[in-house]
Amino acid sequence: MEDEYDSPSLEAELQRFPASVVSEYHKAEREAKRRLRPEDLDAWAREGIAIAQHSFRSWEAATEYFRATPEVAARMAFPQLLSWARWGRSLSADSPVVSSSFFRASPQVLNYIEPESIGRWATYGKGLYKGTWKSSSLASTYFESSPRLLQFLNLNELEELIGFIDTLAEKSYDLANECLANADGVFSKVEPPDRRSFLSLAAVLARSNWRDIKPFFENGSRSLVYLEKSQRSRFLSLAERLAKDGGGNAIGFLLDASAALGEIDQSRHVQMLGMAERLADVCPPAVGEFLRNAPQVLVRVKDQYLELWFEEGVKILRENEDGGLAFFRLESGRGERVLESLTNGVQLDRIKEIMTMYCRALSGRPVELLPTQDLKERGIGWNSSEQPTTEGNNIYLPAFVERYGSKELNFGWFKVIATHQVAHMEFGSFEFQFERPSSLFADQDQRMVIAGASSNGAHDPVTDVQRFFDLFPDRQLAADIFTLVEDGRIDHRVKWEYPGLRKAYEAVQREAVAQRQEPNTLPLRESLMEVLVRLSLEDPDVLTVHAELREHIEAIASLAKAVQRFDATVEDTAEVTVRIYDIVSQTPNMEAIPEESEERTTDEMGQSPDMEALQQLIQELQAGGKGQGDAPPKGRVEEEYNRPQRVEFRGEFKPELVQALENLKQDASKSESDMRQTGISPEDLKQMLQNSAEIEISEVEQGEIDRSMGMFVDNLINEAAKQQAKTQQGTQFAHSSDDDQPLANQEPETFLYDEWDFRAADYKPRWCCVREKRMEEGTQDFFDKTLKSHSFLVAKLKRQFEMLAPEKLRKVKHLPDGDEYDFDLVVESVIQRMAGDTPTDKVYWRRNKIQRDVAVAFLLDMSASTAEAVDEARRQFDTWDFPDDPRDYMAWLRTRREEMSRRTYKRIIDIEKESTILFIKALEAIGDSYGIFGFSGYGRENVEFYVIKDLDEKFGDHIKRRIDKITPMHATRMGPAIRHAITKLDRQEARTKVLFLLSDGRPQDRGYSREGVEKEYAVHDTRMALNEARRKKIVPFCLTVDRSGHDYLKTMCSDMGYEVVTDIHSLPERLPALYRRLTL
Amino acid sequence: MPAGKSKSLYRQYIIEEYILPEEPFYIPVQDEVEIFEAAFEQKIPVLLKGPTGCGKTRFIEYMSWKLGQRVAGKKASKDGARANGTGLPLVTIACHEDLTASDLVGRYLLEGQETKWIDGPLARAVKVGAICYLDEIVEARKDTTVLIHPLTDHRRMLPVEKRGEILEAHDNFLLVMSYNPGYQSTLKDLKHSTRQRFVSMEFDYPPRDIETEVIAHEGGVGRDIAMNLAKLGEKVRHLKEHGLEEGVSTRLLIYAAKLISSGIPARRACQTSVVWALTDDHEVQRSIEEVTSTIFP
Repeated sequence: MEDEYDSPSLEAELQRFPASVVSEYHKAEREAKRRLRPEDLDAWAREGIAIAQHSFRSWEAATEYFRATPEVAARMAFPQLLSWARWGRSLSADSPVVSSSFFRASPQVLNYIEPESIGRWATYGKGLYKGTWKSSSLASTYFESSPRLLQFLNLNELEELIGFIDTLAEKSYDLANECLANADGVFSKVEPPDRRSFLSLAAVLARSNWRDIKPFFENGSRSLVYLEKSQRSRFLSLAERLAKDGGGNAIGFLLDASAALGEIDQSRHVQMLGMAERLADVCPPAVGEFLRNAPQVLVRVKDQYLELWFEEGVKILRENEDGGLAFFRLESGRGERVLESLTNGVQLDRIKEIMTMYCRALSGRPVELLPTQDLKERGIGWNSSEQPTTEGNNIYLPAFVERYGSKELNFGWFKVIATHQVAHMEFGSFEFQFERPSSLFADQDQRMVIAGASSNGAHDPVTDVQRFFDLFPDRQLAADIFTLVEDGRIDHRVKWEYPGLRKAYEAVQREAVAQRQEPNTLPLRESLMEVLVRLSLEDPDVLTVHAELREHIEAIASLAKAVQRFDATVEDTAEVTVRIYDIVSQTPNMEAIPEESEERTTDEMGQSPDMEALQQLIQELQAGGKGQGDAPPKGRVEEEYNRPQRVEFRGEFKPELVQALENLKQDASKSESDMRQTGISPEDLKQMLQNSAEIEISEVEQGEIDRSMGMFVDNLINEAAKQQAKTQQGTQFAHSSDDDQPLANQEPETFLYDEWDFRAADYKPRWCCVREKRMEEGTQDFFDKTLKSHSFLVAKLKRQFEMLAPEKLRKVKHLPDGDEYDFDLVVESVIQRMAGDTPTDKVYWRRNKIQRDVAVAFLLDMSASTAEAVDEARRQFDTWDFPDDPRDYMAWLRTRREEMSRRTYKRIIDIEKESTILFIKALEAIGDSYGIFGFSGYGRENVEFYVIKDLDEKFGDHIKRRIDKITPMHATRMGPAIRHAITKLDRQEARTKVLFLLSDGRPQDRGYSREGVEKEYAVHDTRMALNEARRKKIVPFCLTVDRSGHDYLKTMCSDMGYEVVTDIHSLPERLPALYRRLTL
Repeated sequence: MPAGKSKSLYRQYIIEEYILPEEPFYIPVQDEVEIFEAAFEQKIPVLLKGPTGCGKTRFIEYMSWKLGQRVAGKKASKDGARANGTGLPLVTIACHEDLTASDLVGRYLLEGQETKWIDGPLARAVKVGAICYLDEIVEARKDTTVLIHPLTDHRRMLPVEKRGEILEAHDNFLLVMSYNPGYQSTLKDLKHSTRQRFVSMEFDYPPRDIETEVIAHEGGVGRDIAMNLAKLGEKVRHLKEHGLEEGVSTRLLIYAAKLISSGIPARRACQTSVVWALTDDHEVQRSIEEVTSTIFP
């Protein structure tokens, strides 16, 4: 039999291979025998041997082949099995490793694909193998990860994936390998309809920007979840298109744009993507900017106007790409105006300055107006990003308001909510003192009485408000009542104090009333609270209330109205709170007796002004409540109590936290040793926070609360320290090197200045640190040399300036009018008359009034760019005929180069120095007081300000030597240098003060721009600094040797004086001339 | 000819006109009246400091009237005519940088064939025994200011160099200066040698209730409006150093009151007499207008 003949030889052949092959063969043979015909079995075995024979290590593949056989054979007919084996064999011809992987993965892969597709599957892997070790590793990764991949992808998709991996492998095998290994994770998150686009984008990225692939694989799928399902593939195609157009950072776009879309309602995604696609036709880079900022725009612009805004942007984009980009980046004035015109809403930023001053005027404190988000981010107990509020120092308002159909009304709303917050400060809501008697109840104050009765002071109270709330078993209820009564007091006071605002205020109150529930729809306790809300709002309408609560309401109304007086204090509120609490807490929260409602108005409630009668009523109610006991009467069920719904315009009121912050602030101002004795301990603070009804932590684990309380405590302490530092600038406070933090002033001779952010239209506080240094001394040679080389000019200048100088002391005679008679002249005149002549009437003398009283600060740009050569070379190049003969020319050029290297050429700074020297000569002649300063620096922490001659310093040889040391340094941050010069000039007593700025180009420095790109930032800051000078009655003047200076100087100096010196050589002469003109 | 000019100067020299016919309206805020009376008694010159329009001049007028009553009472027997007058003469000299020594002391003028000496206002005040009020003294040149030194210490005399005379001050003579430390820059500060010859009295805008009364009286408006104007004043003064160089003066508030009493709507009156008078900065204007519209319906 062939069998018997062959078998031994098979055995023999197998024996040549390692034992594992044989053992696997035997294991598989047992299984195979059951499925295969004998001749097939032989073919199968021979196939294995063929595989094993290929190369030195292909026995491993054979092992895998035998091992996989039983499972594979169970799923396919023999011809297919054979073809499977042949694929494996062909792979093992390439690489045994790949082949092993192929066989190993086969059984599982067959779970997902049909046996006839094995070929296709194998082909992809074979395609990946390029004959190198790395490619074999990639191919085997492919086979190994196939089972996982096929869970999510079909073969067509797999083909595309492999196509992409193949492309990627050309760039980096490692990356390709990694992507392939992780691909299953990625595709598990990408929905089937989007996979094609996803892969297609990946392929584009692999070709254009393969380094993006990794982040794309890591984050791409995650970004898709933000999008509306049907739009995902569209979004990917858009990204692909942008990536193809070389649209820069595809990943950035993918992440930012999808996150932005995530903020937009999903129903609008179609519209947004439609716009984005249209934009891609015009200008691909704008798409990203558009989508990124779309949520912000949508907040401000209503639906139909979005298109208008968009069209405007596209129009600008067509005219001017940069302008259009800025438009969509929301960084252009024009865009801002368009938005402004399309919206009825009011943005806090736009009205910040006006409203800040308004609030300062009302409160008399240096309050700042900030968006509520700011406070929320500080993590000190305020959680809402919408509710207006205050932490005692500043006022926090929503960043954008669009409640009404017109700007005026929206602004009015802003005014009302800001006024309410200011009023809390102005009328003392936060100045509650536990032991200060009330004005209403005088000697009947309950606070001390209750405090005496129940001393549960495990901890020292941190604040007076806390101590007060500690009196009540139900702190939340007490806090709610206190808030309502106090808000009622404040509202009343505002209306009384500010009649002009009354109308708007009442409108807002009525609106708040309209949103509320009718008291008779609520269970008893809630109903009482609702009545209290209405009372605090001075609701003019008719209320339907529970009849059985008549007396309660009467008492509450009398109490609540008692503080609605212009002279009620916060302590009155507290006393009223104590009493109302007694009534409310005794009222069970159960359904009222039905059908027993009556109509009342808040006006007619509480008409018993007699305090004693009231006291009695309260006592009766309390007694009644106690009599009823805890159990509600039969048939009436107590319901869960819900806090009254918040009155929106009043925002959040957190007196306990405000006081804590204030107390901490006072602690921070004490010295260390004091602190130990009297300071608030973090434990007490934590205790306070835990009990406080003002902190809302919902449904978190106990451990979480503990941790977040710890965080609160830290944040609060930091916040207090920060605010304290703000109030006493200059003293030490925690130095933070965070990039966005104001700087601290720690060393002597350093000065902090604000910087103007024109987009924010606001100063960045204490942003720049100016370091004042005395210029080192060099030699006197430069000075002397300059005087010699310009001797003619020096003489001329001296003459010119001396003529200006001494007039102040001169007595002017022969005047027709003046201080005094000149007696000689008078006598002469009398004699003339007696002699019959016409007498002269010019008999007066006068001291010349034109007093020259000038101080000038001369600011010299010492930036690196001043090291550039004055383009003498080119001028000479133009005017001279350079040698025609090439050899001569080369020699000529060489000498020029040598000259350059020895620096006999003049740099801009040399001209600046020469001008300075001549300038000094002129100033010494005229006798004005002057200072010469150089500035440069690197970054906002290091603005170097070199004193060459201070304003009060006497001129001398040391000044000459300092001038020698003026050299090009770093960058040009003009703003702080100007501000420092202003400070110096401001101390001078001169009548005329001049700030002379000499520069060689636009201001620039690290971080002296917005997001590193917008040069306008620096220009605007400089402009602001110059404006500040003018406000201090200093005349600023900018002189630049930058020929392209006109474009930015126009913005920078606008209506102030500036000049562009086109011929730098004329500078030494021009400078004194300009100065003369300025100060005459 | 200088004559024309001299004539207009002459008018200022008629010191008697400065005796106030009736009691000026003034509400003391603190003990300033007592202090001034004591200073007058002890012949100590007085320096009044305070922002513009807060009532320094009015205070001096009031004091000259009040002291006049006292002096008149004392000397009723001696000087019959003066006893009927209602006040001490008040010589006000507005200082400016051209003010010379001769403007204060006196000068020779020609009359006919000869020269004639004319006393300056200071000399007259010294002789007559008036309160000499040098308004905005820092505006005067420093060499002029030195002239008053001998008058301000125990010597109490005024040397008249040109005539080689020394004028001894009348018993009732008192030198008073005013200056506003705020708006003049540091360069116009007073010299210490000058400043330390005076007792200083600080003036500020009156508190809300007093200012209300002042506005109601001077502006001829009801208490409510006066109160609101005073409130506006208080709020706007909060903005000093936060956008405004100076707070709004009581004088401006009175102007507003006067406009209101003539029928101008309150908001408009405040706009012209407060908002626009204070600043040219648009933002600041808007802010103050918002405050105005919050206070005035």
